[in-house]
Amino acid sequence: MTATWALACPRCGRAALLEAPLGERGTVVAFTVLSVPGDEFLNDAPYAYVVVELDGGGRVTGWMPSIKSEGDLAIGARVHFVPGYKPGVQFARDADAPVPR
Amino acid sequence: MREAWVVGAASNRFGKMKETGREAATRVAFEAIRQSGLEPKDIGYTFVSNCFGLTEKQGHVGPLINGGLGIPEVPSCTIESACSSSSAGLHEAFVHVAGGFLDAALVVGVEKLSHLDTLSATSYFAEAADYPFETKNGATFPGLYATLASAYQQAFPMKPEVLGSVAIKNHANAARNPHAHFQKEISMDTYLRSPMIASPLRLYDCCPFSDGAAAVVVAAKEFVKHPVTEPLVVRASARAGSITEMQDRPDLLGLPASRAAADTAFRQAHLERRQIDFLEVHDCFTIAELLALEDMGFVPRGTAGTAEVDGVTARDGKLPVNPSGGLKAKGHPVSATGASQVVEIFEQFNGLAKGREVPRTDTALAHNVGATGGSCSVHIFSRR
Repeated sequence: MTATWALACPRCGRAALLEAPLGERGTVVAFTVLSVPGDEFLNDAPYAYVVVELDGGGRVTGWMPSIKSEGDLAIGARVHFVPGYKPGVQFARDADAPVPR
Repeated sequence: MREAWVVGAASNRFGKMKETGREAATRVAFEAIRQSGLEPKDIGYTFVSNCFGLTEKQGHVGPLINGGLGIPEVPSCTIESACSSSSAGLHEAFVHVAGGFLDAALVVGVEKLSHLDTLSATSYFAEAADYPFETKNGATFPGLYATLASAYQQAFPMKPEVLGSVAIKNHANAARNPHAHFQKEISMDTYLRSPMIASPLRLYDCCPFSDGAAAVVVAAKEFVKHPVTEPLVVRASARAGSITEMQDRPDLLGLPASRAAADTAFRQAHLERRQIDFLEVHDCFTIAELLALEDMGFVPRGTAGTAEVDGVTARDGKLPVNPSGGLKAKGHPVSATGASQVVEIFEQFNGLAKGREVPRTDTALAHNVGATGGSCSVHIFSRR
């Protein structure tokens, strides 16, 4: 996946941006399980919204439809990208779904 | 630079308004001007905030408000900075008055959301987030602050009762504030039994969707000469911005814009943290009050929960925080919130905060955040 929404780095201001492939696996650094969604996720709640530190560097946000309560996930959990059935970046726990090689 | 004063500040009761946003805005603006001892014709500019006016099918509301005040010839514009909109308007008023471009300016913030259901309101609020990276991944505002809360809890483990103590305090204060949306106290049991909205945040961790309007009149000291109320001297008016998206922040402990705006404000004011008598801070969610106290340097990182539980932030504590009830219990009519924080400080300074007085009212600080910290305003006030 690519994410080119900026013309300069929001941290250092340099405009010399390079495209780089992101790792497909990572570690949850923060998350919440939402019971009250917005209109685009009306039929998906509960689900988790996650911030993931990817292996090889870079952080992304995404969501996890397989997480139904706070106890289903923990900071430090290993997750990976999975194909989504709707727009947005979707993750699954390594323990729950096949991990890409 | 000239000395600028807040000479009038008025609010309606937050909650559910029968009248339109425009009508409510005109009413509180009229009251704030009346209170100031100035005349509507003294106003040189009206800065209006009304983020969700389009849901009432009404844009460009400034000239309508001015028309209703009998001053249609006065220029106006709309200032949008999400939940920090009317403090951004206050900053504009300050800059123009202190800079000598205006003698007096009107700041009005108004929001009406009660004609929308929870789903629509949640979705409109989410529009202030980053759509492709946050909203499209299922984030809502409770969800984003809950994510910050999860990172905070990971670094500084705390029991649910810590966030509960913030909610209980702010409800107790709002119970004594006639402008407040929720004028009732809650117990820890009520807090703990309220449903989870976005873990770890429960219903009673969240501010309500409120209608409301608030207005502030800012004027140059030399223009007012003989104030009819106890004016608030604007000692600092600072704004800051920062990376808004969770994935791009260097860390998730706090809001960098709060740190930057507070540092700038204290430099402007030539004051130390310990010289501030009480605070109105942006507690859209209970966790946000902890982050605000730590970000602005009133307590060390990781210790705000202890300060809350120990009563430091209570109305009669060493550093009262949100004597108005805060966004949490006074309510959060987005664009009116920043101005309404100044209303509370004005009422405290003028002995109008009956039943919720704080012990000392010589200095106060107002902290107002836009969304999850992409924007922040910090204002510091003192007596003459």
